Amino acid sequence: MIASIVNLNHPANTVHWHFFSMSVANVVVIVLLLVVFAVAILAPFPGHGGTAR
Amino acid sequence: MSRESRRREDEAAREWKGAYRPYDILKEASIALGVVLALAVVLTLLFSSPDLKPSTVQSWSRGDPVDFVTTATTELDGSSGTGSYGPPYNHASDGQHIAFIYLAKWLGVSHPINSAQDFVLAPLRSISGQPALASALSAYQAAPANTQTTWTSAYEKALGNATTNPNGSVKVKPGNYGPLPAMMGSLLTFAQSGGLDGALLTSKQFYQTDYTKPLLFMADGGVLATRAQQQHLLGTQWGMMNETGSYPGQVWLWLYTFWYQIKPFSTSANADILVMAVMGVLSLAFILIPFIPGARDLPRRIPIYKLIWRDHYRTQQSRGRLA
Amino acid sequence: MSSVNGEPPSVNGEPTSVNGKSWTEKARDRAVGALPPEKLLPDSQPSYMSSWIYVFGVLTLTSLIVIIASGSILALKGPGWWHFTGIGHFFNSIHLWSVELFFFFMVIHLWGKYWMAAWRGGRARVWMTGAVAFVVAVPCALTGYVSQQNFDAQWISTQAKDGLNAAGVGSFFNVTNFGQMYSYHVYLLPLAVVAIVIAHVLLVRRHGIVPPFQLSDRAQPTAREPESVREPDSVPAGGRAS
Repeated sequence: MIASIVNLNHPANTVHWHFFSMSVANVVVIVLLLVVFAVAILAPFPGHGGTAR
Repeated sequence: MSRESRRREDEAAREWKGAYRPYDILKEASIALGVVLALAVVLTLLFSSPDLKPSTVQSWSRGDPVDFVTTATTELDGSSGTGSYGPPYNHASDGQHIAFIYLAKWLGVSHPINSAQDFVLAPLRSISGQPALASALSAYQAAPANTQTTWTSAYEKALGNATTNPNGSVKVKPGNYGPLPAMMGSLLTFAQSGGLDGALLTSKQFYQTDYTKPLLFMADGGVLATRAQQQHLLGTQWGMMNETGSYPGQVWLWLYTFWYQIKPFSTSANADILVMAVMGVLSLAFILIPFIPGARDLPRRIPIYKLIWRDHYRTQQSRGRLA
Repeated sequence: MSSVNGEPPSVNGEPTSVNGKSWTEKARDRAVGALPPEKLLPDSQPSYMSSWIYVFGVLTLTSLIVIIASGSILALKGPGWWHFTGIGHFFNSIHLWSVELFFFFMVIHLWGKYWMAAWRGGRARVWMTGAVAFVVAVPCALTGYVSQQNFDAQWISTQAKDGLNAAGVGSFFNVTNFGQMYSYHVYLLPLAVVAIVIAHVLLVRRHGIVPPFQLSDRAQPTAREPESVREPDSVPAGGRAS
C-alpha cells in the first residue's frame, strides 16, 4: 500500500550523546531548524530599501 | 534596563513613522501556500507515512500465550498495572501526588474498571455450553479471598517457568492452583479465537468507540512494550519524541520527555504529575515572557537583532542618524 | 424610525436614535477603527522588513491551511479509509508532513520573534496569542496521534494516559476513548487553534510589525520621514497607520 521512493519503515538508527538518545530523523530535523534559522537571518534579502519582492 | 528607559523604548516601538515600500500581502500568502503544498507533496512522494498494524488481544494471546495468561492472572488478583492503578479506574491507590495535592484522587474514579470482573470473570461467564468452565468459575467465586490469593500467587510463580504447547496452550508444573488452569485455559482459547477483543469492547453496548478496556489489558502485559522497544518508543529511549520506523517524530516534545530522563523524575513514583507541573509552569512562563525580567531582556543583550535588521541600521547610518 | 431611500436615519451624519448609537453601530465603529481596510489588507510594509525571517509567519499559517484541507478530506472519508486505499494513505501522508512543516515553521517564527523582542510597543498580546497557539497545537496533535487506529495510536494512548491521569485531566479526557479523541481532534481543538490564530493575525495587523531596536538613545524616525521610497503622490492612505 505504501509506495514511497525512500522506505523509512525500518527501526530507526539512534544517536547517543551522554544521556541524550535521539533518532537520526529527529536529529536531522533539529539540525535543519538551526540551519534554516541561521540562513533566514543571514541570507541577503533582495531589493533592500527598494522594491517589493 | 530602567523602567523609564523601558517605557521610552516601548513608546518608540509603538508605531513606525518611517519609510514604507510596496508589498503584496495576498501574493505573498499565495506563494507561501504553493511552497508549503509543494513541500508536503514532495515529502509525501519521498517518504509516505508510517502505519504499523495495531496489536489485538488475539494476536497477543497467539504470539505470547504465557505473557497473556500471566497478565490475566494478575488482573484476577488485582496486582496488574490496571488493577492497582487507582483513579480514574478504581480505588486501589490514591494516584500520584505533589505534596498534599492529589489531583487524580480529587477528580475521582470516572472510568470504573474492576480488573478481575472486566478482564477475566465477565468474559468467561459469557462463554456458554462449557460445564467444566462453569463449575471452575463457581469454585473460584465461592472460595474465600485468601484461598483465591494462594491460588493466584502460586500460579503466577509457576508461570515464570511456563512453556507453550504446540497447540498454543500453556503448560506449568503441577501445583496448588485450584480452578485457575481451567479458567485461564478457556480464557486463552477465547482470546486466541478473537472473541475476547469483541467481548472487551462491546461489554456495555453494541455501538462502541471506547477502546479503554482492551488497551489497558494489553498495556498490562508485554505485547505493546515489546513492539515499542523495537521502534524506540520507550520512555527511556526518549520515545515521546519518536515515530515508528525511521520517520521524524514530535521534536517539539523534547523538553517534556527530557525531565523523565533525569533525577528526581526518573526515580520518582510521582514522575508524571511532577513533570506535568514543571511543564505547566514553563508553558505559562513561555506565554508571559513579555513580563518576565531577564527573559524579556535577553534579546537586547544577545544582539541577534543586529543581524536581522542590519540593512535598516546600515541605511540609518548612511543617513547619519547614528552617532 | 423611518428612513429615506434606504439610508439609515441620520441628521448631519449623526445617528438620530434617542439612545445614541446602536450596539451594531458601536461594534462596527470599534472594528473599523481598530482595523480599517488599509490595515487589514495593507499594500505596503515598513522598510526595515528586509529579512527572510519574516516569511515564517505566513509559512506557518499556510501550513495550517494545508493541515485543515488534508484533514477535511480524511474526515470526509472516515477514520478507517486511509488504512485500505492508496489515495487515502496519500492524504494521510500530506496531513502528517504538513503537521511537521507547521511545527517546523512555527518554531523558527517564534525564535525570530523572540530575538526581535516582538512584544515591544504594546504587542504583548501578539506574543501571548502566538504562544497560546503553540501550547494548544500540541494537544491538538496528540489527539490526532491517538486517532490513527494503528500501533502508534495504541502505544501513545496507553503511555499518555499516565501523565494525564496523574494531573487529574484523565478523569474527563480519556486518550484511550477513540470516539472522544476523534471528536476533539476533528472539531474542538482545530476550532480552538484557528480561533487563537485569527486573534493573533488580527492583533499583528492592528499593531503592525515591531520596529527595530534603537541602536542609540537618539530617536529613530519619529518625525515624518522625508526620504520615503514611495513616490510622494502614492503614499498609502493607511500605510503609516500600521
